[in-house]
Formats: sequence, C-alpha cells, structure tokens
Amino acid sequence: MKRYIIQRLIAAAITLLGVTFAVFLIVRLIPGDPAVVIAGPMASGEEVERIRTQLGLDRPFLEQYGTYLSRLVRGDLGISARTQQPVLHEILARLPYTLELAVVSGALATVTGVAAGVVAATRRYSVFDYLASFGTLLGVSMPVYWLGILLIVLFAVRLQWLPAAGADEPGSIVLPALTLTAYSVALVARMTRATMFEVLEQDYVRTAWAKGLPQRRIIYRHALRNALVPIITVVALQFGALLGGAVLTESVFAWPGIGLLLVDSIFARDFPMVQGIVLVYSALIILLNLGVDLLYAYVDPRIRYS
Amino acid sequence: MRLPKPMPFVALAMVLVTALLLTACSGGGPAPAGGSSGGGAGGGSGGDKTFRIAVGIDPDTLDPAGMTTTTVANMVDYIVETLVKIDRDGNIKPGLAKSWQVAPDGRSITFKLQEGVKFHDGTPFNAEAVKFNIERILNPDVRMPLRASYAVIERAEVVDEHTVTLHLKEPAPYLLGALTYTAAGIISPKSVNEHGNSMTAYQHPVGTGPYVLKQYTKGSQLVLEKFQDYWGEKPYYDQVVFQIVPEAATRESLLLAGQVDMIILPPTSDIPALQNNPKVKVLLAPSDRTIFVAINTQHPALKDKRVRQALNYAVNKEEIIKNVLFGAADVMDAPMAKPLLGYCQTGPYPYDPEKARQLLQEAGATNLELKFVTPTGRYLQDYQAAQAIANFLQEVGVKTSLSTMDWPTYQATVQVPPDKATVQLHILGWAPTFLDSQQQMLQFTKDNHPPKGLASSYYTNPRVEELVAQANREVDQEKRQQLYCEAAKIIWEDAPWIFLWVQRFPIVHSAKVTNISYLPNEKFDAIYARPAE
Repeated sequence: MKRYIIQRLIAAAITLLGVTFAVFLIVRLIPGDPAVVIAGPMASGEEVERIRTQLGLDRPFLEQYGTYLSRLVRGDLGISARTQQPVLHEILARLPYTLELAVVSGALATVTGVAAGVVAATRRYSVFDYLASFGTLLGVSMPVYWLGILLIVLFAVRLQWLPAAGADEPGSIVLPALTLTAYSVALVARMTRATMFEVLEQDYVRTAWAKGLPQRRIIYRHALRNALVPIITVVALQFGALLGGAVLTESVFAWPGIGLLLVDSIFARDFPMVQGIVLVYSALIILLNLGVDLLYAYVDPRIRYS
Repeated sequence: MRLPKPMPFVALAMVLVTALLLTACSGGGPAPAGGSSGGGAGGGSGGDKTFRIAVGIDPDTLDPAGMTTTTVANMVDYIVETLVKIDRDGNIKPGLAKSWQVAPDGRSITFKLQEGVKFHDGTPFNAEAVKFNIERILNPDVRMPLRASYAVIERAEVVDEHTVTLHLKEPAPYLLGALTYTAAGIISPKSVNEHGNSMTAYQHPVGTGPYVLKQYTKGSQLVLEKFQDYWGEKPYYDQVVFQIVPEAATRESLLLAGQVDMIILPPTSDIPALQNNPKVKVLLAPSDRTIFVAINTQHPALKDKRVRQALNYAVNKEEIIKNVLFGAADVMDAPMAKPLLGYCQTGPYPYDPEKARQLLQEAGATNLELKFVTPTGRYLQDYQAAQAIANFLQEVGVKTSLSTMDWPTYQATVQVPPDKATVQLHILGWAPTFLDSQQQMLQFTKDNHPPKGLASSYYTNPRVEELVAQANREVDQEKRQQLYCEAAKIIWEDAPWIFLWVQRFPIVHSAKVTNISYLPNEKFDAIYARPAE
C-alpha cells in the first residue's frame, strides 16, 4: 500500500512536470504580448520594452522555462505580471472561495442527484421518473450564464431574498451554488438511476424482498450501497468539472474565486499567474483521483493495490 | 482514474464529510468589512451611511504610478490627489496646488501648495513630498506605463515648505494636463516603507484624499473610509465600497435590487429601459473616447484619400448610434473629442452613399475587398457596430470580411509595422488620459507608428507633423489651439480613419441618491454623493 502511494505520488510529480511544460509553452504560443497588454494602449514603446525586460520575456524560451522550474521546486510560483504580487499569495487568497463553491455545489448535487436517482429508479416510468428526467435534462442543458442571470433576476431583483452578487454577505453563496449544482446534479441523478436499475434486478435484492425486509432497508442498505461505486466515481469527476464550471459562475456572480482570476489573467496574458493556476488545478485533480482510489481500497477489503 | 469496484456507503459519507470540512475551513472567505449594508444601501437613510458602487474591473494595481485603466484610476482618486485637477468641462483647476505659474520661457512651472494638508498617516503634505513623488515617477525601476507624458521633467526643486518648482527639459505646455491624471497622484513618502509597500511594489496607497483605503479583497471589493482630517470639503458618506462585478447584467441587477447605489457601464442594450425606470437615473456622460475605424493608409488600395473619404461618406453614423448604441455616443465632428484642448470642429462627414460611390469611381477603386477586424466588448457595442459598418460599406460596393478576437490577440494583430499588416480596417478607441490634443495627435504622427505606438493607420503628413511638433511646445495656449486646429483640418481631409463617434460613458445610480456627476475622461464624480431629499 505504502509502495503504491509512493508510486502514485511519483507519477503525479511527473504529470505535473508535463503540465508545467505544456502550459508554459501554450501561453507563449497564443498571440498577445503581456508587456503590451499591461502597459495599456497609451504607453510609449520605451515603457513597453522596459516592462518586457522586467518580466524576463526578452530571454530565450528554454532559459525562461529553466528559471521557472528552478524557482518552482523551491515553492516559488513567480510574480504576477499583472499585479506584481507573488502568484502563490494571490492564488491562496482566492482558492478558498472556489473550493467552497465547488464543495457546496458538489455536496448539493450529490445529495439531490442520488435522491432523485433512487426515487426515479424505484418508481420506474412513473410521473416522478419522467419529472426527474426532464428536470435533470433541463439543468444540464441550461447555459450557466443564462441560468445565473435568471436566478439573480428572480431571487435578488424581484423577490429581494438574496444578494445578487459578491461573497461578503450571508446567503451570497446560495445563487452561485444553485447555478453550479444544476450543471452536475443531472449526471449524478442519471448515473444513480441507471445503476440502481441494474442492482434492483439482482438476485440478492429479490431474496431480500422474499425475506420480507422493509422497502427502505432494501433500497438504502442493500441496493444503494452496491450502486454507489459508479456514483462516487461520477461525483469525484464532477468535482473537477465543478472547478472548471466555476469560471463562468464566478464571473456571473462576481464570486472572487480562482476562476475569475484565471479569466483576468488570461486576458492580461499574465503568464506566471496562468501557469500557477493551472498547476494548482492539476494538482487538485490528481490528488482527488488518488484519494478516491485509496478510498476504494480502504472501504472494500477485496481491492488491493500493489 | 481506476475503474470502480464494489464499495460501501462509507465512501460517500467520507466524501461528504471531507466536503463539509473543506467548506468549514474556507469559512466563507474573508469577513466583510465594516458591517453589512446590503439592503440598507440606496440612500444611506438606514444610518450606516455607506455608498456602494459596482464596477467591472478588478484593479491590477493601486499604485497611482502604475495606472493604465480609467476605472481603477477613478477608485484611486478617492484616496490619492493630484497637484491640479480637472472640472466637468475639462478645465484645469487647483488641487493640492492652490496656484501655479509657468515661466515665460515655458521651461519651469512653480506651484504654491495648499497648506495644512495631511496624508492619511498623519505626515504633512509639503514641497518635499512633491519632490519625492516626482522623483519616484521618473525612477525607471518603478513600473509606470504612462511615464512618457512626464519624462520632460528634469527635476523638482523645493523652494520653501509650500512652494515647489518643476524644471523642464523643454517647454511642455501639455504637462499641466498630464499632472491632473492619477498617475501623478501624490502619495505619502513615508508610506513606501509601510503596509508591506516598497518603492517599486506599492500596493496600499496612502494619500491626502477624502477617503482612506481600509481593505482591499482581491476580486471582490475595495472598502474606503472617510478621512476625518481631510483638508477640503468633507464627503457625506462614512464609507464607500467598490464592489467588483465583471458582468454588466449582474451590475444592473445589483442596482435594481437596491444592493448598490451606483453602477457604471450597464448592458448597453438596457439603457432605454433604465431611462424609463423611475427608480434609477441614467447619466450618459460625454467623454474623450473617440471610436473610429483605423484605415491602413499604406495599403495600395487605400493610399488614395478619395477612397478613404468615400468610406467616411458610406457609413450612417447617426443610425448606428441610435439603433446599436442606444444613444450612448455623439457623431465625431473632428479628429479629437470636444473636451480636449485644441479641439475645433472640422466635420462631420454626412451620410452620402451616392458621393461615396462617386469618389470610389473617380479613384478607380471598384471591387474593393478589405479585411476588417474588431474587438468584442472593449468598447460599447463594438462588434455589433462593426457589423453595421460592414453592411453600409457593402452598400457602396466595398466588400469586407469581418472577424473578432480577444484584446491581446487584437493588439498583436494591429500593432505591427506596415509591412506585416494583415488587415486593412480595424476598430479602435482612443481616450487621452488627460484632455490635451497632444495625446490625441499621437494617433497621427509617425513617431507612434507600430510597433512603437498604436498609431495603427500608419498616417503621416509632413505638414501635420510640423504643426503638431510646434503645438506640443508652444507656450501660448491660444496659438497652440490654432496649430492643433489647423492640423485637425488637414487630418480630417486626409481621412486616415472612418471617423465614427465619441463614446459616452454610462453611469446609472439610484434615484434615492443625488449629486453624482462625471469628468470628461470616462470618470464618475461621486465623492460628494448624498441622499436625495
């Protein structure tokens, strides 16, 4: 087990190294000169040149990458080209907001998704089943931007129940979290419904019915427990998608997370910041996957990693 | 991701627990500053006297020297003041300097400073402080994109406690204008070593302004508190909160929900509805931002000025302003906007498709096919306007292929030397940071041809170069005005642009507040806002 974890961590480090190189290269391939963007349209050529030198963009590509890596191994993600502040500092200030949003939405999506899926599966082809299918379809097909504005108009402008945007008031998280949940609840619900279908057909479930166990017990203790495996996978994958989906949601709701920072940084061609954020995202996803894999082994003794 | 094998309920529970723990750790992010005002906004009648403004841009820096974005400068103006300021009509008026005297040879300016002024940290504002600040903005280690406008200053001399003289390398009649801009804002010399600041990384501005920076939460909000020892007229509100809200529709909702008192730049298409809404007031502030289609004057098909004039006659500006910009612009009638020193009316080019066809015919430019690019979302309705322009050009027989891209890519596309140019027409906005034609003329002189500057129509005319060079150094403001005017007439005739419009700057505020105005360089003036009676 220990060996397995070490192997996985080494693989993770290699993956991250690959990520750094790919991102480092890609940001430099998109057209747009950070110095020009930062200096603004009214700046003189001389000042632009000075900023370019300060950013080290006048050096050869490999030299820039070498410098970046040597700093990175010391835990230094560099200085933001746009704000002139340490990248790590800026990311750490904003990451909690994004994690909060992703986690709350993830939890909400899991609970409602599983519940809807179970009910839909146990009352197959009933009105509720169709309603759940329709609702989840609606959730997944509504653009985040549109749904977000709709919720704002309804709950903030018309009913005046909730803050329209920002993160500084109680209840601020409700609308962005709902918007983000709508996006992933559908997948969880559909996966739950499908696997529950399968499990409910199993012999042991029929046996349980025959034994005269109460319905609740059969569904939740016997069937759902075995159906949860693919669900947990979907949930874990959704968490990654939620981090990504947060980009748009954060923009609509002025939620000061890392997604908003990423957008600002891309539009300013702030290379160090984009590199830093992508690296953090990648590390999060890799750790999440590793965590889920380890969780399998922990909860199911039949699974062995070596 | 390994494929799942059977696993019990515990895993889900653990994921949820982890999730909840993480939520708890993040604790909803940093605590809000200074009590919630939320629903209480919209007049300050609730007693907490907070004024909330929603803006679209998260500051890249709060260092006055680093300013490039007007909205950010607008926020910094609450904290940091300049020696001279401008009023609503663009006239220069006293700021931290109560008077000034330009030497007859134009090579120095002497400022008499206001007395009894204190910085937020309690240190006195005096001639030494001014000297320190001038030296700072000339220091090449400090990031200052707009330094070129101040590079003419040779040194600052302290005459006495409240008198300072700026010695110049050459006469620079535009310098007073430049000193009104936030980049020349005066910070406390002591503050460069406090609040985590340094000379080159200055993030927590300490000035003399009516408000003190209390807290800045990146991506979220900037909280300012009234400065009790402010030397000038004291503002009404105890606290001002700038809420950073990138989406225009969200800003509008915040205002309509009463959660902020004022916003800038609502969705343009909603302007008519907002104008009809009695709960809010719309201010379409005149500005200095000229919007135009830069024509590649070096392109073989566009070298003939008759062709360029034809393009000007072909576009119905009034109609686009009415239907696409919802009234938020005025047709350009000179190569610069009205608030600029040196403005004189030279146009407009009326909508006359017949004349356009005729001019094209005369120039032998039939079957023109041009590449046309526009940014999206940089200027009011830019992409939509470009589509309308393309249609008008089509009507006189000029075919265009229109495309759009994000701003950095756009700049990299148009800010190239003439031999590398890939497009013939592109939309651009030009907003002088200070209201002097010297700034506008950067667009019409060859020193600023790309890649050095953004004079991307590659226009040059020996007579214009001569007039502009002369005007930029002329001490007599009357004569200067005439020189710019003469240059403007030639430029208008040469038509290096399709002269479109001067964009207005939309400000919307709750009808419950009053005394909100603007400055003609895309800034709002809400420091003295107060509840309407």
